[in-house]
Amino acid sequence: MSILIDENTRLIVQGITGREGTFHTEQMLEYGTKVVAGVTPGKGGQEVLGVPVFNTVKEAVEATDANTSVIFVPAKFTAPGVYEAMDAGLKLVLTIAEHVPVHDMMNVYHRAKKMDVRVIGPNSFGVISPGKAKAGFMAHRIFSPGNVGIMSRSATNCYETVFMMTNRGIGQSTCVGNGGDMIPGSTFVDTLPLFEADPETKVIVMIGEIGGSEEELAAEYIKKYVTKPVIALIAGKNAPKGRSMGHAGAIVGADGTGSAENKEKKLKEAGVLIADSTQNIIEILETIPGTK
Amino acid sequence: MDLMEYKAKELYDQYTIPTMRGIVIDNLDDLESKASGLTFPVVAKAQVQVGGRGKAGGVKFADNLEELKEVSSSILGMDIKGHIVKKLLIVEKLEVKQEWYLSIILDRLTKGPMVIFSSIGGMDIEETAKTSPEKVLKAGIDPLLGIKEYLPRYLLSKSGCDMVYFDQLYDLLYKIYKMFCEYDCTLVEINPLVISSDNKLVALDGKVTVDDSALTRQPDILEFRESLPDDELILEARRFRFLYIPCEPDGDVAVMSNGSGMIMSCIDLISQKGMKVGAALDLGGGATADRIKEAIRIILSNTKIQMLFINIFGGITRCDEVASGVKLAVEELAENKLILVRFEGTNKDKGMEILESIQGNVVAVDGLREGVQELDARKGQL
Repeated sequence: MSILIDENTRLIVQGITGREGTFHTEQMLEYGTKVVAGVTPGKGGQEVLGVPVFNTVKEAVEATDANTSVIFVPAKFTAPGVYEAMDAGLKLVLTIAEHVPVHDMMNVYHRAKKMDVRVIGPNSFGVISPGKAKAGFMAHRIFSPGNVGIMSRSATNCYETVFMMTNRGIGQSTCVGNGGDMIPGSTFVDTLPLFEADPETKVIVMIGEIGGSEEELAAEYIKKYVTKPVIALIAGKNAPKGRSMGHAGAIVGADGTGSAENKEKKLKEAGVLIADSTQNIIEILETIPGTK
Repeated sequence: MDLMEYKAKELYDQYTIPTMRGIVIDNLDDLESKASGLTFPVVAKAQVQVGGRGKAGGVKFADNLEELKEVSSSILGMDIKGHIVKKLLIVEKLEVKQEWYLSIILDRLTKGPMVIFSSIGGMDIEETAKTSPEKVLKAGIDPLLGIKEYLPRYLLSKSGCDMVYFDQLYDLLYKIYKMFCEYDCTLVEINPLVISSDNKLVALDGKVTVDDSALTRQPDILEFRESLPDDELILEARRFRFLYIPCEPDGDVAVMSNGSGMIMSCIDLISQKGMKVGAALDLGGGATADRIKEAIRIILSNTKIQMLFINIFGGITRCDEVASGVKLAVEELAENKLILVRFEGTNKDKGMEILESIQGNVVAVDGLREGVQELDARKGQL
């Protein structure tokens, strides 16, 4: 087991004929991912690395029975790409691009909830279930199969953690890149139920950061429903304070939501183990019996 | 991207949101001709991107042209918390019956727009939100529905305001929400929203934040940003698509990395050791030798910085490219500042060889924590 993607995933790459799309399709195929179709408007009928290309996602789904899509298109085409994938009936859509306008993601988020579609990203490295499949652009060599499930708002902090874990012989069941944007398609609370239900995942690592309320929401959920050990890192304790205009931010954050202190406090109350650095995550993992 | 009040007012005027008649000046020569259409008394307001301008003397009243010349000359050029006043907004003064608060914010919790309203507006709104949260109303907007008439009805009814303002508030909400969506805003705030002596709702101040990621489709906001005085290093970094982040003014350590998460982790670890980070630079993707060289040049031109920690972990990043960039930068550096380099990715061995060949104060470290320990060991030696 693992979550979200595995050897049975039948993946579409939207934007497969682009430079990034082609390069990462090659990487994903090399890793063993079943990339069954690509989509680029106007390039239908071609092939990229042996993968058939279609003009629309709907045609790709009808011809190949694909069940997941990863979108390698520039930021301004990201929202239309997600809508197309959702309307073609896909229930898992991953978006990679940085700098997607937040209003686009706001509309995608609400549409996805209504259609019961799981969107991951944008500004995310994607999802990898080591040894089985990857959808995204992460450097797969540093990952190794194991029983620790990871979800992260930051790609670089996740890489750092995974690199040290693998060096110490601790592997991962699945790593999910939530992405660093203001409105991500999925947040920690969306992924936690999957890790809790996955028999292969024994420990959950959550790499968060200051700002927003994802960690606070996760703490509430963990307190009620999660039985597995959870380790959390909140990055950005000493980050320079942003120049925030107006009063609205202070009104919304009047209860302390968003600060590292508040997040750590809420998570501790939920029984989560707090790490103070990426290296400390590994030190804590090594104290939990059965972690491998 | 935070807009200054005068730019926010321009947008409000464009959406026919009621504001006070006014002018913008950036020098005293224009004052007399521009002010000729205004009815005194007026208010002159410093245009700076920092709060607390009123208390700093950046807002003054004038009853006639002579007084206006006086206050304008005292405010233009004034230093407000390190921001020099380059522009002045002068608007007609209004007799005010009551001050309300109104904003639409992109709320991270509900992932959608949210209206915040209070019948007790003005400078103390944050205090009110803390001490009497029930007096500050919040209501989510479904982006698939937009503003419906029950929203202003709820705001007025719940806060005990007179329903006589329903039409005006509905119209106002409709317009600011339209602007919020069309201009990719994450905040539109009117504080105070006042009731004039003839019972009209008027926006007396405006704070607008536009999503940076949307600037490519907001050409007039992009143009406004280019016109702003900003930290020279921020502007220089932006030319190369880097993000330069000023941190503590007296910090002597700089951090460079290829992602905001790693930058935050580095700053956290360095701060834990009691050192101060003065600046950080996010390279983003594409760490080629030329870009690394430029990034080092930019961050080290901050004269306070004595030590630079470069931490690159990209997986597909080529370490030999990073090392070559460091080499190029060091050859052109005037001062002998310490550069610590840590990288993981492809061609690491080749990268290490290049680093070792550099004649200069460059040290390779293996790991994030090791790098911070090395910084700690060397602080004060330069």
